[in-house]
Amino acid sequence: MFITKDRIGAFLFLVFSCAYGVYAWQIPLLPTEQGIAVSASTLPKIYAVVGVVVSLLALAGSFLQQAARPQGGSGALALGRTVLLLVLMVLYALMLDPLGFLLATEVFLLAGYLLMGEYRPKVLFWASVPVVVVFWLIMTRVLGIYLAPGTLWS
Amino acid sequence: MIEGMLTGLSAALSWQGILYVMMGCLVGTFIGMLPGLGPITAIALMIPVTYSIDPSYGMILMAGVYYGAIFGGSTSSILINAPGVAGTVATSFDGYPLARKGQAGKALALAAYASFSGGTLAAVFLMVAAPLLAKVSLSFWSADYFALMVMGLTAIAAFSNRGQFLKAVMMTLLGIMLATVGIDPSSGAERFTFGSSDLLDGISFLLVAMSIFALSEALSGVLRPDHKKLPGAILNVASATARRVAARDGGHKKAPAPSSKMGDLRLSREEVKDVVPVIGRSSILGFLIGILPGAGATIASFLAYATERNLARGEKKKQFGQGSLRGLAAPETANNAACTGSFVPLLTLGIPGSGTTAVMLGALIAYGLQPGPLLMHDNPDVFWAVIMSMYVGNVVLLFLNLPMIPYIAKTLALPKPLLTVLILFFSLIGVYLVSFNTFDLYLMVGFAVLSLILRQLNFPMAPLILGFILGGMLESNFRRAMMIADGSIAFLWERPLTLCITLVSLALLLVPLMDFLRGLKRPAPEAELSDNL
Repeated sequence: MFITKDRIGAFLFLVFSCAYGVYAWQIPLLPTEQGIAVSASTLPKIYAVVGVVVSLLALAGSFLQQAARPQGGSGALALGRTVLLLVLMVLYALMLDPLGFLLATEVFLLAGYLLMGEYRPKVLFWASVPVVVVFWLIMTRVLGIYLAPGTLWS
Repeated sequence: MIEGMLTGLSAALSWQGILYVMMGCLVGTFIGMLPGLGPITAIALMIPVTYSIDPSYGMILMAGVYYGAIFGGSTSSILINAPGVAGTVATSFDGYPLARKGQAGKALALAAYASFSGGTLAAVFLMVAAPLLAKVSLSFWSADYFALMVMGLTAIAAFSNRGQFLKAVMMTLLGIMLATVGIDPSSGAERFTFGSSDLLDGISFLLVAMSIFALSEALSGVLRPDHKKLPGAILNVASATARRVAARDGGHKKAPAPSSKMGDLRLSREEVKDVVPVIGRSSILGFLIGILPGAGATIASFLAYATERNLARGEKKKQFGQGSLRGLAAPETANNAACTGSFVPLLTLGIPGSGTTAVMLGALIAYGLQPGPLLMHDNPDVFWAVIMSMYVGNVVLLFLNLPMIPYIAKTLALPKPLLTVLILFFSLIGVYLVSFNTFDLYLMVGFAVLSLILRQLNFPMAPLILGFILGGMLESNFRRAMMIADGSIAFLWERPLTLCITLVSLALLLVPLMDFLRGLKRPAPEAELSDNL
């Protein structure tokens, strides 16, 4: 018995549908909904049941099908760089309010380029500073969108 | 109708209309050319821009991005055999061999002419079909709409790649489930908010679209740098074609690079005569396929290619796969015609037939417009402006892109690391500028991670966004229909029209399901085995 992508996917969806179902059954029935055919929880319950049935079907199908031996992954995954980019996005969200748009975006772009292997100072400068400034000018001066300077400075 | 057409024409031909069409076509062409990024990403990235402009111009801009992205995908298919979008894979079958023969200019010019002809002819069909269907759909009840939405959702699963049916169903369900988060609009009950006030309004469609397409496609490129983002079966066909071309060229496969020699852009009189009937046939085929929910540009281009190959005789047939002009014109015409055709269910029924039009539907709702049969009556300016802009867009694509082909081709050499980070930035800031809530950014990262995992497990993403956008409407129409039917589910078969749609939905669900069950006895297909961990 091999662990295939199909089986992992179906299993994950089964777990998700079960969890969704548990919460769907906890949706409170409001007094205004007494006696009506479709309440706030009706369709979520149906979705959960259908989700469980479909994932079980997919799971059963993946076991019944005569699968051949797995042939290994179809290419190396650059997991480290991807995770670092995801962390950088979280940090950007954290920095945006205290540092403000200009500085936080500048840091995000520079760190992103460096993470992606771009080290040439000229490229780093031209691909970050003008982009941030032009974008900020378009937003604030042309479209009239207020971008707060950052709670640290105000 | 004439009045509406003139209103639409005046909007499409105003300086703002032309500017937005040009902008859309250029941005779409640029993004469509980048392998891994498709029209959904291109449109999702433009949505924050459209929030600040008139809805008519917003839709004109997005329509321009749509067919620009398809044209851009053709350019990378022809020049480097790397289709930017799935709908242009068939273009590479004959477009790339033509480029290898030093006729890249001719191939690109033919692609532009074919796209223009397919798009323009389909716009004529759309102009006739959309108002007629809109009139018919005025007699639709909530029950019919509910049944239609179920049909739309089952169709996208039914038209998914072989072996992907259940995965597409799961993704559709996931989208519908995500749509239930927030305060229930009918009763006011909180659902799946986990006590967070940030989730009371539900999850915004822009956030989901940006995360699962723009963010996740850019991150997929980082995660698998050597892997083109295309559905399994299509990827196999594309690699098989690449192998055939490499074998013909003596077995060596050089790393694809943009061709520096474009060659002549002109077509001879005989060549034009040869492709004109192909363009006519493929336009009709593409438009009809585009109307079908879930089918779209990819299926249309493959079908048009196969049809023309079967119709060709003798020497002409042998040329297919080796640089046939017919083989290039057919998919190019059909994919653009299908893009236009996919606007028919969107504009008339408010039901998107593809992931791309689903994102457009979300944008329409965000503008405060009610897509459906009433759109033509309540907002004729938007309805007709979109249709009329298609003519302008096709002319722009032809006259703006044709002379710019050599320069556009150079964008393929832009450094990918910079583009990836910029796409991440534009996706994040696009959502932030709408809500000014950093919680949305954390949620985006969460969805991007989820989407990356699902992509690694070969789950299709388009059904998710379709389910997400249709989920809310599905529930409200179901409730209304149940209320009218006094709580009885019999509304599904009481009216002949509802019954017909219900039966079609059932057939769409049962046929691939039976195919799946029959397939259990067969060994797993090659495409699936290669996906094993």
